[in-house]
Amino acid sequence: MTAEAILAGEPGKPPEEPGTPSKIPGGRATAASSGALRRPAALFSPMDVSGLIDADGGFVDRAIYSDPALYQQELRRVFAPSWLYLAHTSQLSQPGDFVTAYMGEDPIIVTLDENGQVRAFLNACRHRGTRVCRADLGQTRTFTCAYHGWSYDLTGRLVSAPKRETYPASFSLENWGLVEVPHVSAYKGLIFGTWNPEPLSLREALGDMAWYMDAMLDHDDEGTEVVGGVHKWIIDSNWKIPAEGFASDWYHLDMTHSSVFMLMNRSGQGSRTPVGNRSGRQYLSEAGHGANFTVHPKNRFEAKPVHQHVDYEALRARLGDARVEGPLTYGAGTVFPNFSYLPANGAIRVWHPKGPDRMEVWSWTIVDRSWPDDVKEAQHLQSLRTFGPTGIFEQDDPENWNDMQAIGRGFVTSTLPLNYQMGLGSETHDGRHPGLTAELYSDAGALSFYAHWGRLMNTPAWHENESSAEGCGSEANEAP
Amino acid sequence: MTASLAGRPASRDIHFDVEQLYYLEAELLDERRYAEWLELLADDLDYWMPTRTNRLRRQQALEVAARGEAAYYDETKESLAWRIRRFSLPTAWSENPPSRTRHLVSNVRVSHADPTLLAGFSTDDLVVKSNFLVYRNRLEREENIFAGQRSDVLRRTEAGLLVARREIFLDANVLQAKNLPTFF
Repeated sequence: MTAEAILAGEPGKPPEEPGTPSKIPGGRATAASSGALRRPAALFSPMDVSGLIDADGGFVDRAIYSDPALYQQELRRVFAPSWLYLAHTSQLSQPGDFVTAYMGEDPIIVTLDENGQVRAFLNACRHRGTRVCRADLGQTRTFTCAYHGWSYDLTGRLVSAPKRETYPASFSLENWGLVEVPHVSAYKGLIFGTWNPEPLSLREALGDMAWYMDAMLDHDDEGTEVVGGVHKWIIDSNWKIPAEGFASDWYHLDMTHSSVFMLMNRSGQGSRTPVGNRSGRQYLSEAGHGANFTVHPKNRFEAKPVHQHVDYEALRARLGDARVEGPLTYGAGTVFPNFSYLPANGAIRVWHPKGPDRMEVWSWTIVDRSWPDDVKEAQHLQSLRTFGPTGIFEQDDPENWNDMQAIGRGFVTSTLPLNYQMGLGSETHDGRHPGLTAELYSDAGALSFYAHWGRLMNTPAWHENESSAEGCGSEANEAP
Repeated sequence: MTASLAGRPASRDIHFDVEQLYYLEAELLDERRYAEWLELLADDLDYWMPTRTNRLRRQQALEVAARGEAAYYDETKESLAWRIRRFSLPTAWSENPPSRTRHLVSNVRVSHADPTLLAGFSTDDLVVKSNFLVYRNRLEREENIFAGQRSDVLRRTEAGLLVARREIFLDANVLQAKNLPTFF
């Protein structure tokens, strides 16, 4: 391993020498040597996970939720190469606007530069690696580290470092800017980023999932905006549980959320059809995305003012009958790996991994820009009262998930396979919805999520050279 | 004579009555007697608990989310009643089995309302600030502590003092709990 930069000069540039893979791309301001740093290969020992998912038989090994080594492998092979949600375009309207986010466990600053371009940077000072920006959001021209005063501009460039003259001649500010996320792309208001130097475009990566997402994001030409503020809270279980659940687990509504349906029916809200009797479909994707939704000719929004305002005929003309009668409202979806949404009330969220045993949920509400203020307010209140930490739906979910995680510590418990056999083999091209869909009551979306997870886990990522190893200039070793 | 009370600290007797009201509220919430708790709230109740963000110092004024932005609670008496009705259902799992909570209220300071600042209220009504610490213990070993401040307007009625306006500022950024199924 030569003294190559862990940070390639240009994103997406192929390696210049054979056997010298590009590592984490960092943008033009970050080409810098790692000197003589060499990581021992044993720091990361990837495993073959093909025995942990049986998609044909409908079994999942719960070790995937609790093993710390698998988790480290996820950060490197699932999160790092994938498109990860960062922010909504409506949160960044003036140059200098910023919000902070996470990609996996990496802290990120998302900002709008002077040219109105959305950029994302690793929120880590290049000097000694502490967090540079401690604010959640705001407006600024520079990000100054509170440790030694290194200061970066909106393009991530290191513009000043106190006592710069005490550094050797080889030190150039040019090489020590904030590491930039090489690919940042928005789809209908949703901004995603990826470290992958050569990803599929966001649109390609979504595939048919975009058709389903449009039922929430594309009601008219004006699109959506996010209601101000964000809910953040912690759940002591593995991030994959809600991620696959929002793709695939309509089944749990009957029991977990039974109290809500009883309540809503009494107060005249929601559908009159008992939850257990509804029919619908579940979309699944080889890329791990999934969406489940009821199908009903009189599909409607939950909040009365929203329902009364919405022009369902106009939506039918724009989105087609299948979308209006399906993914427009009831149901949920997940964009692999950890972005989920609920069209009925505009909730969008990320399940941020914080170790195998914990996640931090970040949740926002989106509304149509074109809606009158009172309609937006109604959707905001609906979202707040049904989801979020006080939400009458959402309160009950972590009871199940946290107990799953807690008892998974038991040896015997951990050896018992999880049953994913509902609707096994029922997936088909149904002629009405794009891609493969299964019965609404089905685990197909979850198995598809895990199949993709397994493929990524077993694929050395670009930042691992052919002899294993990771960043910071690593020595050769055997890859699995 | 009453005009001179506007904005002035209330008497010891009034202060005592307010504290007793708050302790009664705490007891009703801890004993899950939600219907009785509702009776202490005015019919035109406005109940708001905003989220908070970490801000650059020069933008600190934006720390608390504005009305209409993400909030834990943004309620009327009806919507609180709706939430409470769910708790009475056996399948409200977040509270089945129920949490053990203990609402502690302190730092109570009472003054008379100023009608020029609070439309629809008179100097008989009270502006009250209090601090709270709510301990929640759940299932085997789940523990949460919620701390913060409440800013109330209490209306004096024939039936006694009722909570007409409540703003609750939780001392949290990322909520250190898996849910928030209690009231403050």
